Order: sequence, then C-alpha cells, then structure tokens
Amino acid sequence: MRKFGRAEAKISALGFGGHHLGDAPDEKTAIEMIHQAVDGGITFFDNCWEYRRGKTEIWMGAGLRGRRDKVFLMTKTCPHGRDASLALEMLEESLRRFQTDHLDLWQVHGMGFDNDPELFIRPNGAAEALTRAKKDGKVRFVGFTGHKNPKVHLGMLETGFPFDAVQMPLNAFDANFRSFEQQVLPELLKRGIAPLGMKPLSGHGEPISQGVITAEEALRYAMSLPVATTISGVDSLEVLHQNLQIAQNFTPMTEAEMNALRERVRPEAGDGRFELYKLSLKFDNPEARLAHGFPIDTQQSEVKDMLGAEMNTGHPFPDKQF
Amino acid sequence: MDSKLEWNRRKFIKGAAVLGAAPLFAGEIAAKRGRAMAQDRDKSQIPSGTVPKKQLGRTGVQVSAMGLGGYHLGSVTTDQAAVEIVAKALDHWVTFFDNAWEYHDGLSEERLGKALKGKRDQAFVMTKVCTHGRDKKVAMRMLEESLRRLQTDHLDLWQIHEVVYYNDPDLIFAPSGAAEALADAKQQGKVRFVGFTGHKDPEIHLKMLAHDFAFDTVQMPLNCCDATFRSFETQVLPEAQRRGVAALGMKSLGGSGELIRHGVVTPEQGLRYAMSLPVATTISGVDSMEVLDQNLRVAVNFQPLDEPAMQQLRERARPFAADGRNELFKMTTKYDGKVGREQHHMPTAQQLPL
Repeated sequence: MRKFGRAEAKISALGFGGHHLGDAPDEKTAIEMIHQAVDGGITFFDNCWEYRRGKTEIWMGAGLRGRRDKVFLMTKTCPHGRDASLALEMLEESLRRFQTDHLDLWQVHGMGFDNDPELFIRPNGAAEALTRAKKDGKVRFVGFTGHKNPKVHLGMLETGFPFDAVQMPLNAFDANFRSFEQQVLPELLKRGIAPLGMKPLSGHGEPISQGVITAEEALRYAMSLPVATTISGVDSLEVLHQNLQIAQNFTPMTEAEMNALRERVRPEAGDGRFELYKLSLKFDNPEARLAHGFPIDTQQSEVKDMLGAEMNTGHPFPDKQF
Repeated sequence: MDSKLEWNRRKFIKGAAVLGAAPLFAGEIAAKRGRAMAQDRDKSQIPSGTVPKKQLGRTGVQVSAMGLGGYHLGSVTTDQAAVEIVAKALDHWVTFFDNAWEYHDGLSEERLGKALKGKRDQAFVMTKVCTHGRDKKVAMRMLEESLRRLQTDHLDLWQIHEVVYYNDPDLIFAPSGAAEALADAKQQGKVRFVGFTGHKDPEIHLKMLAHDFAFDTVQMPLNCCDATFRSFETQVLPEAQRRGVAALGMKSLGGSGELIRHGVVTPEQGLRYAMSLPVATTISGVDSMEVLDQNLRVAVNFQPLDEPAMQQLRERARPFAADGRNELFKMTTKYDGKVGREQHHMPTAQQLPL
C-alpha cells in the first residue's frame, strides 16, 4: 500500500487497468478476474466512461458488487474540451454502470491536444465539473490523465487547478523519449499531487513480445518510480496472476539497476517505436478524435463497438465484431 | 493587382473585341464567340506574365516563387499527363522542381526526367535522399539512382528527406551518416546545393540546424494554421533566416487540402499566405491541370500580401489550428513514408494509418 499524494488515503502499488478488461472473453471471466485481484491485494481500480462503450464499467461494477468498500475506484470523464454539463452527465452514467453512489477518484481523460488545458479551464469547461462533483460528494478526489505530450501535462498543471492525482505513461522507454518521468513526475512530487503511472508494458506489451525487455523488468521499473500506483491492464487470469506475482514479490530496483535498464533500451526508445501513444492517434479514442476534429479509425476497438452497436442484436455489447 | 480582377478585366476587353468584329451571320457570330470564349477559358484563366523569381538564400541563385511538388507527378494516371503538367509549369516559368528518391518507388523521378528531356537547363531540379538513419554509402547509391532516373548528371539541390523521428538528427550526424554524403556529393560536383526536409516538429528542425552544418536550404510545412500551432513559421523560419539558409515552404493547404475542405481558407488565400512568407519558394503538389491552373493564377505576377492581411488569415485560421486537426503531418503518422517507417521499426501505413 502506498500513500495517495498528500491525501489521507492509501492505495495498492499495482492498479488494475480497466481498458483491457473489455478484452476478457465474457462477463463471467471479467468478474472472476476482479474477485481474484481484490483477493490478491489490489485496491486501485481504473476505468473510463468511453472504454468499450461502457462495457468495462459495467463488468467492473458487477465484479465489485459486495466489495465496493474494499477498493479505491477511479473512472474518467471524456468531455475532450466540451462543457462541464456533459462531463457531469458522464459521471452519472459511470455511477449507474458501477452501481455505486460515489467514486474515489474522477479524472478528466486523455489530455493530449495542445489546446486541452485552455479548453479545460475555460468558463463552463471540465474544471467546473470536477469542482462541482467533489463539492456534491460524488467523488472524493479529482485528477487528469494523458499519454501524449509532457508539455500538455505541464500546461494542465499551469492552469492552477487543485488536482489530487495525475496519470501518465511511465516506463523505461519513456525515460529516454519525450519523457514524462523527467518532465512531469518531479513537478507532481513538488506539488504534492499523487502520480499514477500507466503503460508499464508500453500499452500492449510490444517490447516484451519482441524480446527487448521482460514483463518483470518492465513492471518492476515502473513500480520503482516514486508513484502512488502503477496501472497495468489485465485481459486474462494468466496476466493477472503474472502481475500479482511480480507485485507481491516486489522489491524496488536500485537507482543503478534502473539506470542500467534505461541505458539498455535507449537504442529502441529514441524514435518512439514502443510509444506510439506519443506519436500517433492509435490510443486516442473516437470521442477525443471527433471532439477535436480528427478522423476516426475503423480498426479501433471503440469504433468497432460503435459500429457493432448499430447491429441492434438486443445485447448491449454484441459479440460479433467486424 | 488581384489576379481575379485582372482576369475579369481581360475577359471583358476580349469579349468587347469579339462583339466589335465585322458583321457576320448570327450563327457564325455565335459559333465564333463560343470558340473564342472556350479558348479564352483555357488560356486566360492564367494571367499573362511569369512566376516571379526569388533568391535562394545566400547561394546567389534564383528560383521560381512557386515550385512543383514531385510526389503528385507519380499520382497522375499516365506519364503523358505528368509530362504535360511539367511542360505547362515551365511555360509559365515555374523552374523549381521537387522530387524524392522514394516517391512512388521511383516513378515520380522517372516522370520528371522524361518531362525535362531537352529542358534540363531551364529547370532547378531538387530531389531527396531517403537513408532514414542509414549510412552514407546508401545515400550515394540513392544519388546515382536518382540521377539516372532524372536523366541528368547533376542535381541543383539534394536534400535529406523526412527528418521526422526524434533521433534522426543523431543518426544523420553520426560518423559516416547522411550529412557526410551531402558534403561528398557537393564536393564531387554531383549536387550544387544541399539541405533537409521534415514535417513533424520544429524542435527536430532546430536540432538539425544546431549542428552548424553548411545547409543551403531547409524545407518545412508553412501555412496559416502552422502560424499558431507548433509553428515552423515562428520557430524555424527566423532561425533559418539568421543563418542564411534558404527556407522552402510546403503543405500550404495542409498536405491534402485539409484547409480547404474544412473551410479555413480558399486555395488562393492558402497559397498566397504561404508564398508571402520570407521563403525562396513554396512547393505545391499538382495532380491535374485544374490544380496547376489554380496555382498559376496565384503565382504568375505574384505580389505578397501585406502584414495586416497575413495577420487576418492567421486569426481566421487560429480556431482551426489549435488542436492540429488540419496539420495531420504533425499530429499523426499519416504523412510518414514507407521507407522511414521501416528503418525506424514503426508499423506500416496499413497498420497505423494515423
């Protein structure tokens, strides 16, 4: 368990990433994964209004039934520059899907476009929704997330809004390339904001499947940074077991070990090939793209879900994908 | 004078001349008028005159204020269509011809070579080398191939293509890297001038320039959205000027006409804006005679916009610029070519279109 920034709360050093939950074969498996995660000591649960058209929030809500008090539940709102009222509508929908009356942490999702800070802090922007939700007791803490550009994160901090948490990609590749570790992490520690790491395995484990780094090295590196938690996506019981084992036996790397790993992956880090979330729209959801006027990609899971929803099978998440 | 006004004026005079001709039968008059107007439409869309010349940095050479982009020469359906586009451009004194070793696997260079046969002396021929981090031997092999395809014994300008990955400057300036190839080729007289190009991030361009290499040119995207978003205009252009390196503009309409499609500016406004910046030329891709005519209408007798008019266009573009939606080359992988992706171990365009 680690301290959540300067707040009176503690969270598990390993967090359960919500996006990959949508890749579980069915709801039953997803529920089993959540039960085992809670039993294994994970308390931090990540999710997002726009993941898989709501499927991941609904499945996580089902998995946490009767266990809500044991966990620190986070989800994200997705106005992407649009009004506070929309952000608050999304909050109500998230609470309904989770079957809960409050969140422990509510974050503004996907700050990655250069004008996001300006749109966030403007009158009627999402900042007002965060303040409102906290005041109404619907959320305990607030924050923002993003995977694109350290400069945008710093722009968000410069708005002066009192964030409790900030989420960002942290891994050994990031340490060498447009680095959140170097540019954003120290600033958060200075301000007493809880840093939340994500993408410890670079998103979908590409450098692991290509043999550049092992899952254990990657996860240990990320967890050894001065963060409140490291959120890792889990799409199967096998991956959950692997993560739990690494986390339960976790000993932080020494600075020398971390440095050696940074140096080792430097040749593969310099052009961003394992951090496509910084260089492309691959990890930008359709909501973000449309709100910012970018083209969508029909190969993306959320877009497939959107198209699938039009098939009107009577099921909320049609299994048939195309 | 505004080219559109000029064209209206000329049309009016010409029309009056036809009406004032000797009396003929009504049918004949109508037929003759029809022919004259058809001819008129073909020709006088473009005002008489030439595309003005501008200094190419401190090289002492002049190039046309508008350049013909090479990529699209490979996109048109036939060789003949490409040859005709080049011929018509030359007729109006477009002398700057852009190309790259990797465009359409060589087809763009081959077509330009064919089109410039017997006219090589009238043209300023540029192509680009596509090592994407590999060493100078690869670069020199590409140069020989480019010369062969272009049917010439020398280039006027040879540039390192698509410096868009953040470690490219390190790779280019590594021992035996592409920078050495530029110096060698220049020394051997195979190329007169050298430079580099890229569309991603002003930071990368500035890193290239900071190496103090004797670049003659630097090519970059310049348009009225760029003016307020990750701006080459405000960050790189002044630095190039300070160093006496000639700036070459590209993507004046967003790369594929995004600025037009999204109603930011008209093609005329977009081109005028880019051409009014302190650049040696503005390279514009042309995939049809209609587009060439549209470009020539702006470029022939071109007079730059004044600063208030420029500022007005920047302000107009600002809301469309702030998240980069009209400059996908900065924000996505859409404009990153196949060879560069391979060398940098990035997914293919099919796997990662954006």
